Amino acid sequence: MSPSSWKSRLFRHETLLLLVLVAEWVFFYHYGTTTNRRGVVVGFGTLDRQFDILRHSCEIGLLALALTPVILTAGIDLSVGSLLGLCAILFGKLWHDGGLPVPFAAGLTLLIGAVAGGLNAGLITGLRLPPLIVTLGTYSLFRGLAEAITHGAITYTDFPAGFLFFGQERWLGLPTQAWLFAAVALGVWLLVHRSVFGRSFRAAGYAPEGARYAGLPVERRVALVYILAGVIAALAAIIYTARLGQAKADAGTGYELFAITAVVLGGTSIFGGSGSVTGTLLGVAAIAVLKSGLATLPAVIRLNAAEEIAGLLTGALLLFALAAGPLLRRLTTLLPRRSRSPQAR
Amino acid sequence: MSASDAPTPAHGAPAPLLKLERITKSYGGVRALRGVDFELAAGEVHALLGENGAGKSTLIKVATGAHAPDSGRITLGGRTLPALTPVLAQELGIACIYQQPALFPDLSVAENLGLRLERGGRCRRIRWGERRELASRLLARVGAGIDPAAEVRELSMPEQQLVEIACAVGAGAQIVIMDEPTASLTRREQESLFAVVRDLQAHGVGIVYISHRLEEIFALADRVTVLRDGESVGTRPIREHGQTLSEADLIRLMVGREVARLYPPAESVPGEVVLALQDVGCRASGVRQVSLEVRAGEILGLAGLVGAGRTELARLLFGLTPADSGQIRLNGQAVTLRSPREAIARGIAYVPEDRRRHGVILELPIEQNLTLAVHRRLFPGGWLRDGAERSLAEGFIERLGIKCAGPSHPVGTLSGGNQQKVSLGRWLATQPKVLILDEPTQGVDVGAKSEIHRIIRQLAKEGLAVILISSDLPEVLGMSGRIGVMRGGTLVATLPGGTEAPVVMAAALGQGGGK
Amino acid sequence: MKRYFRELSVLAALLVVLLGLAVLAPGFYQPQPLLSLLTREAPTLVVACGMALVIISRQIDISVGSQFSVCSVCAGLLAARGWPLAAVLPAAVGLGALLGSLNGALVAGLGLPSIVVTLATMVTLRQGLNLVRQGEFVNLPDGVQWFGLSQAGGQWTLVGLALALLVVLGLGLRHLAAGRQVYAVGTNAEAARLAGVPPRQVTFAVFVLLGALTGLAAVMNIVQSPQVQPLSGAGLELKVIAAVVVGGVAISGGRGNLWGAFAGLLLLACVSPALTHLRIEAYWEKAFQGAIILLAVVADGVRTRRSQP
Repeated sequence: MSPSSWKSRLFRHETLLLLVLVAEWVFFYHYGTTTNRRGVVVGFGTLDRQFDILRHSCEIGLLALALTPVILTAGIDLSVGSLLGLCAILFGKLWHDGGLPVPFAAGLTLLIGAVAGGLNAGLITGLRLPPLIVTLGTYSLFRGLAEAITHGAITYTDFPAGFLFFGQERWLGLPTQAWLFAAVALGVWLLVHRSVFGRSFRAAGYAPEGARYAGLPVERRVALVYILAGVIAALAAIIYTARLGQAKADAGTGYELFAITAVVLGGTSIFGGSGSVTGTLLGVAAIAVLKSGLATLPAVIRLNAAEEIAGLLTGALLLFALAAGPLLRRLTTLLPRRSRSPQAR
Repeated sequence: MSASDAPTPAHGAPAPLLKLERITKSYGGVRALRGVDFELAAGEVHALLGENGAGKSTLIKVATGAHAPDSGRITLGGRTLPALTPVLAQELGIACIYQQPALFPDLSVAENLGLRLERGGRCRRIRWGERRELASRLLARVGAGIDPAAEVRELSMPEQQLVEIACAVGAGAQIVIMDEPTASLTRREQESLFAVVRDLQAHGVGIVYISHRLEEIFALADRVTVLRDGESVGTRPIREHGQTLSEADLIRLMVGREVARLYPPAESVPGEVVLALQDVGCRASGVRQVSLEVRAGEILGLAGLVGAGRTELARLLFGLTPADSGQIRLNGQAVTLRSPREAIARGIAYVPEDRRRHGVILELPIEQNLTLAVHRRLFPGGWLRDGAERSLAEGFIERLGIKCAGPSHPVGTLSGGNQQKVSLGRWLATQPKVLILDEPTQGVDVGAKSEIHRIIRQLAKEGLAVILISSDLPEVLGMSGRIGVMRGGTLVATLPGGTEAPVVMAAALGQGGGK
Repeated sequence: MKRYFRELSVLAALLVVLLGLAVLAPGFYQPQPLLSLLTREAPTLVVACGMALVIISRQIDISVGSQFSVCSVCAGLLAARGWPLAAVLPAAVGLGALLGSLNGALVAGLGLPSIVVTLATMVTLRQGLNLVRQGEFVNLPDGVQWFGLSQAGGQWTLVGLALALLVVLGLGLRHLAAGRQVYAVGTNAEAARLAGVPPRQVTFAVFVLLGALTGLAAVMNIVQSPQVQPLSGAGLELKVIAAVVVGGVAISGGRGNLWGAFAGLLLLACVSPALTHLRIEAYWEKAFQGAIILLAVVADGVRTRRSQP
């Protein structure tokens, strides 16, 4: 707890991450862009590839946005990836078997997301259970329900073109889902940074008792955060379905880990309180560019291991981001302590 | 065993067990100890007496090695020690029984004792039978009817204290420090505790006994040292030449004579009754049948000892532990206060005692702390307005004289006094009708203290009804128009302003003070 | 008995399931499938023992699945090179201990939260393994499967080994000073420090032990088939944590024991065969497991709420 302003520290973290992102981008632009035999520019430097990055980072990005307020309140939600799967399935089922028009099915799916998030919220704030273990339980439950509904086999496909537009086409020059993502990002940013809700998330994350003494309805605010996470996960499920044109039970498996990684990489403290949506967005972008950029490097293409290298680097980056602060602090506190000890005697 | 078996602590006795000389200690700018001398002989019960903030707990921390003194000398068993650490203190036979025991809540009593007392390698086999036997023996020795197999989390606070004492006995402690051991004991538990203390004494153990209950001190102690404002104002034998020290003497020592310190004069004339309680109580927090009135522009002081129920009453009024009996009226209307939100909406504000945990959020900026309780009013629609927040914050920083580098700096960077002003400012921002202040000047340096006093006066003048809870008796006497005295969860006396300190203290101690 | 209420209630639940199966689906009790079930769960049990220790010390490790995969592949490669199992086994255990010590150093040494640290090592290890192996299977030479014994012999060996470890660790946790130190650190690290128990050393040690047990479990897993799957440990962490938590080990540290974890593991392991025998589709397995976890934590929550009004 150094008294040096947390705001400036946060600022430094985000600046650093932005530099990493720019460096990544320049690196891949330089090494990952080539001209093929027919004289066409291919690889990282193309607009198509950039749009591809956008498309592919939307779902994990949405989950990361959902997790940012959760982690700000010193909580965690492991169930968002599973909920994405469950919502994708239910959306497909409502449309396919239920015969509902897509907008209705989508609306109902968002509602289901809210209910599922509400289950987490109720257990965590109502019974005061630890979020880690509650969401571990719902992680299993949601995925299990998705598998049970589809018997592990059914995949819903043949969605109407008007729906696939949201996942596969462009609107006003950008991939359609990017607009949705931007809207959610703006919404979460406003919520976290510009509304009284965000204030109370931080207060509850730093000091739940202190927030209660200030008259803030801590339980209700924390519950809201989990419900919101459910709704956003449901939205991610719809976009996922639109992008792939199919809804299946294993949708979003392992996404929660990437989303948490992005949030923590973005500088949000796992102990709650400090962090920012901008940081999360930068974290998502850093991971997405890394993943997509590696796939354009000739050396990596030869190895055919872009995903693995990206994952490895992401994990290493996260470890570094975690350990750098404490290591530095330890080094700096060791020195003055040594020089101070003779004085004490 | 009785006290008469114990070796008499004569002044010319051999080297004392523990000797503290001219100990000073400051926290930040606050001087907690200013050259305290203290001495403990073998087989002696030495009571330590003083108001809150007089420096008792700091002195204990120095004696147990938890905090190093700034200057002074510690002599233990004839050896002068350059530095005392907790480990060293334990090895030298000092044991301290705190009010909140540091035990392992999920483990059994036997295991708690075993973990502390048994020595040996990691791969040593635990002999559960022996452990339980040792535990039963030690528990029997301290007269505790506790099952050694019970988990500590199931024990009551006094039972946990007994486990700590058993631990001290088992460790063969030569010096046992007891910090208000009877604060939560029933009469019978108290009796058995006394027996334990006398038994230890008979075995030559020196006991530092901290208590607010005078009758205990007279029943148990051989000598008493009174601390006031970080200084030792005297050590007296309880019985000398067949004469017993009188309660009045002791109370006079505690409160001192110069009550008339500089407090700003009262300028306000009490107006209408704002808050009226009729037989209010709450079973969960132990508040019972409190009836009082506070008027606009009045400062009602609440005096009493720690655990007398003053903070509990404040929490009740703020909706944290809602009342389950009696009636609360605000401006003549009966109201319910079931949550802080409701209390705030009705115009009640509470500046809590634990500033760092409850009063402010250390990591948040000053301005955000100041506006935390007025989100609804300041940010209609729920959207933050930086300009409004900044101007409100700057207003309070100026009005309260908060010394800071800027409103965007975290509260944690401020000194204690300025943190307290932020906590106060947060509640003034709610434009309350009733302001409850719980130990507003605890851990605050002298300058900030008088500033806070001036602010409280000003607030009363502006027509606020103020309830001032303080264990600093001169503060209560100097600031309050009327003084309520609490003991055992209820209001035992309401005294007019200008009452003599010994009278208030006597009421707080339950010594038949004026009703 | 009140002290073991939580473990006994899991045991009771397990007995109810077993009894129900005896009445409704006696087919469950054929010796061969039952032995196979136990054999499949033997490596999980070994990891669960280590995980119970970590959770009792108020930490968590979600990287065990990745550790398990890495150890499995490495052990497989060594065996494929012709190393005897007697040499492969200590190598795998050592590798696991090394991986565990990385987590331990970051958590105990730097004071980082174990959930994020092990999340990071989980991703790093898994992706590192994928990168190096590209999802390739390792073919094992003859004489590795079932330790070169008959299938039944191998199965009994594995089950026996896992149970022996359970008993040794369970008794050690109860009767050795080191075991009690794990509880002391988990229930109140500060009080432990004051009582002369070094919390950091204990935390480090439990992570290393969990890693070593994971290495052992990896070997116990690869001997069950002629090939080593590269991602054999995927999802293991959740399965193990679920078993431990259902078995009454409190996520807040300091409470629970290995017997409960064992009962929890069996209870969860019975879900799948029970579903099959009760003619419920097997796809419900995960949902049931999730529901059991939630039920267990809700029961804990309600109980602690009632005891501390």
